Amino acid sequence: MTALTISPTATETPQPPRRNRQPMGRRVMRAVRRLPVWILVALLLIVVLYPQLWMVLGSFKTQAEFLSNPTWALPEALNFDNYIQAFTRGNVAVNYWNSLLVTIPSVAAIVLLGVAAGYALEVMIWKGRHGVLLFILAGIMVPGQMILVPLFTVYFRANLTDTLWPLIITYVVMGIPLTTFLMAAYFRAVPREMFEAATVDGSGPLRSFFIIGLPMMKNAILTVGLVQFFSVWNDLLIALTFTTRSELATIQVGLLSLSDEYGSTQYGPLFAAISINIIVLLIVFVFLNKKIMAGLAAGSVKG
Amino acid sequence: MNSRRSRRTLLATGIAILSIGSLAACAGGSDGGSGGGEGKDPKAFTVLLPNENPTLKAQLDALAENQCAAENEALPLEHQSVAQADVVQKMTLLASQGALPVHFVAGTAQVRPDGDLGASGLIVDYNEVLEPAALDNILPAAKSTVENVYGGMVSLPYQYNVEGIWYNKQIFADNGIEEPQTWDELMDASAKLQAAGITPMAQPGAAGWPLTRIMGMYIQRNVGPEAMQAIRDGDAKLTDPEYLAGAQALADMASAGYFGEGFTTMEPDASTNAFLTGTSAMKYDGSWLLSNINDEGQNTIGTENVGFMPFPAVSGGKGSIDQWAANAGTATATSAEQFGPLVSDWLTCISENYGQQALQDAGVISGFKVNGEVTDVPETTALVQDTIANIDETVLWFEALFDPKSNSLASTNVSLLVTGQMSPEDYMKDLQASIDANK
Amino acid sequence: MKSVFGDRKTIIILLGPALLLYVLLKIVPVAWSLGLSFFEGNSLRGFEFVGVDNFVKFFNDGAALQSVGVSVVFAVLATAGQVTIGYLLALLYVFVLRRGSAFVRTAVFFPMVLPTVAVALLFKSFVSVGANQGPVNDLINFFGFDSVEFLASGAGTMAVALVMTWWGSMGFYAVLLFTGLLDIPEEVIESARLDGANGLKLVRHIVIPLSLPILLSSLIFSFNSTLKVFDSLLALNGGGPGTQTAPLTLYMYRTAFEYAEYGYGSTIAVILTVLCLVFTLAIFRSSRTKVED
Repeated sequence: MTALTISPTATETPQPPRRNRQPMGRRVMRAVRRLPVWILVALLLIVVLYPQLWMVLGSFKTQAEFLSNPTWALPEALNFDNYIQAFTRGNVAVNYWNSLLVTIPSVAAIVLLGVAAGYALEVMIWKGRHGVLLFILAGIMVPGQMILVPLFTVYFRANLTDTLWPLIITYVVMGIPLTTFLMAAYFRAVPREMFEAATVDGSGPLRSFFIIGLPMMKNAILTVGLVQFFSVWNDLLIALTFTTRSELATIQVGLLSLSDEYGSTQYGPLFAAISINIIVLLIVFVFLNKKIMAGLAAGSVKG
Repeated sequence: MNSRRSRRTLLATGIAILSIGSLAACAGGSDGGSGGGEGKDPKAFTVLLPNENPTLKAQLDALAENQCAAENEALPLEHQSVAQADVVQKMTLLASQGALPVHFVAGTAQVRPDGDLGASGLIVDYNEVLEPAALDNILPAAKSTVENVYGGMVSLPYQYNVEGIWYNKQIFADNGIEEPQTWDELMDASAKLQAAGITPMAQPGAAGWPLTRIMGMYIQRNVGPEAMQAIRDGDAKLTDPEYLAGAQALADMASAGYFGEGFTTMEPDASTNAFLTGTSAMKYDGSWLLSNINDEGQNTIGTENVGFMPFPAVSGGKGSIDQWAANAGTATATSAEQFGPLVSDWLTCISENYGQQALQDAGVISGFKVNGEVTDVPETTALVQDTIANIDETVLWFEALFDPKSNSLASTNVSLLVTGQMSPEDYMKDLQASIDANK
Repeated sequence: MKSVFGDRKTIIILLGPALLLYVLLKIVPVAWSLGLSFFEGNSLRGFEFVGVDNFVKFFNDGAALQSVGVSVVFAVLATAGQVTIGYLLALLYVFVLRRGSAFVRTAVFFPMVLPTVAVALLFKSFVSVGANQGPVNDLINFFGFDSVEFLASGAGTMAVALVMTWWGSMGFYAVLLFTGLLDIPEEVIESARLDGANGLKLVRHIVIPLSLPILLSSLIFSFNSTLKVFDSLLALNGGGPGTQTAPLTLYMYRTAFEYAEYGYGSTIAVILTVLCLVFTLAIFRSSRTKVED
């Protein structure tokens, strides 16, 4: 208990104790006062983590267990049949591969184009840049459903419908407005002198973007990249509209085949597929976590 | 150095734009159905099926490998897929680009003679194009159901489902209940079952249609088999008292608690489970339930305890208990533009072999004749087959002839009807208004 | 100096590709759909010019107006909830947990990455009644009340949808706002503390005003995404019971893609876009007056 209260924190260390009347009593008092906070945090963690645990546990339950046992019941046995089902009936392996094939290039392109545009709009100085920024920002307001039919026609005419290109291109276009907007905000947080100092050294404007701009934004890029990664990975609408061959289906579309025509759902295999999804994303997340949080912390969206 | 690189980038960008532009500009006439030659056969037998129906896909694959290997050699089978919820949009988009697959599922309203696909002559009428031998392989009952629903022979009956009330023989016997012949008997039986602490009838409200079916069947029994056709033709209104009685009957049954606790949001699986584990005595459902009934992991009451009866008659009504509700699965049409001799061969082969293949391998009862022997048919499946063989007249379900919007309204609003948030009068009034508005 | 940052070639190279893609594949299709909102029909049946009929139809269409209500109510409540909870969490991270907050931040953020279909299934199970009753009703029964069938009523469904949205997104907004709070200089807070400001007073007079810009960004971002809510309400209860929780996006989707009335569907999309614009401008406006105060 006390260890927690005396551990140095950012705000406390520089502050010398002003009054020193009852050090022990105060410490105990503080510990007691902090108790509700720890209870609150524990509750918060339960609320956040339990449902996810429930999904993973669900992947070991049989259909009968899902339907007859109470929701909170633990699986009766640790069987991996659902995972096998998910891979055979659900074709989950192909779905994951497609999701990766779509998500990685999309996110890479979104980030590259967005960062470049953000730089051009925020660091470069020219007439009308604020107008262009607002014009791009307007893209956030348009509902995605609105561009589906025209794009389908274009992709079809371009003979792209039997490939993953329609997905990649659409995700890039959908991701550009938010990324540009966020990156412009991050660039705004950087003192101008840093760019100016770099240009004095004789580097050209384009070079200064690659040598100064990009590396400086490492954290921001990771953050934006991650936000985009999740939104592309979890998209259903676009993936549904632009794929017709099951060999091209992404994981979100694949999850649909675990339900049947009459509304019946294979819960076990569905949760198995979702658990794989959770684990894949958890790996991505933990791997990049420190960097994202730092990134979100370093620059921010300043309105 | 710098400017050179930027110039090159500019050039590349320019080329990219130009290529996108030219691709976009060039019309999609290069592929599609005009494969050249006489029979306008396509290059492959492309089949577009719903994601949610893996059985059909698996059966076609099995045919391609065995019985239809020769047809598959000449015109290889290629699968495409679509999410069920997305069928109408996908087919509209594909058809407007002249990119229909050869054989595909479509929305019910689209394939009707006045529908988007039917009216523009994009799909074949199987009566006109199939070989007589192939047509002979389609069961007459299935054929008439298809023609009733779709207004023409524009779908192949990959499934043939009859609907009725599944019941637990054991529970009926224990409570001294005989198969109810009339609606009143059904209500009496339900009251008795409820008093005995058993859910009379497990109907999942989350899906909508399991509830509207009961209303629809009541109306068919009350008004007669032409009831829904009369609505479509404008000869009757849903607000007429004999139609209103159907909504009232459903609402009464719900408020009496005969559907059990929490039925409004119950998922189909949960209600099937309730029936198959003996917590409910009855379930109105289609013959597709056989796959659950025949699965020992799900069925704990034993197949010998499962009975199947028609929806009861309504006393004083013009309909008869012998008219079974039937459907023939999702509409599966064939592109008129790509119908050539090789496609015809494929469809003939399917019609000859699908019945046996699907029954043997997946226990699916289709609208095709079963040519050849099928071994180990489960008892209940045989019972249903027997029932189908003896049916003289079928009726359609409640929403079958509605436009898509009214169809959707019927099943979304039904949850309001059964929870008393909407009166039967308002329910029917809204629905009739929607039907009138979408004529 | 200025010429370096005003180098036209660089601007074109950096901005060109993004802007070009954006205009070609977003603005052009939007304009295309915008044009179609004056037509009736679909790409298969053909389009017929009807002028402003679709807009007139919209304002006389009960179902459409109901769905506007659903979208707006959902957006207001979801935004208020997720930004408030997010802000409280951010305060917790910065002022209470301080350096030890990394684990909690990560854990609370994670629901954001789960597919909506899965989250909806989860919440459906948690509030279910009947044979496999969920923990929520177990708890209600425990306190001696009858089970509540949340998804059988519009208000119940909306409540579950909101909790689901808050649960999924609070971690994201917490991190977003946390960032803004970190930027508040230590000295400002310390000097306020020395002046005797504490707890709520400190938050109200120092912290909130200083983090206003990030709060506004979050509000705008949140409004624009919750006004376009689609999959969570669809997956939870299909917009039901009836159409009581069908948002504008769902109505648009059904109209354009299920009923194949693409022209009218485009009209609905246009109105939704206008709604987003109005809300965004309203937030900007109110922020400006607040700053001037």
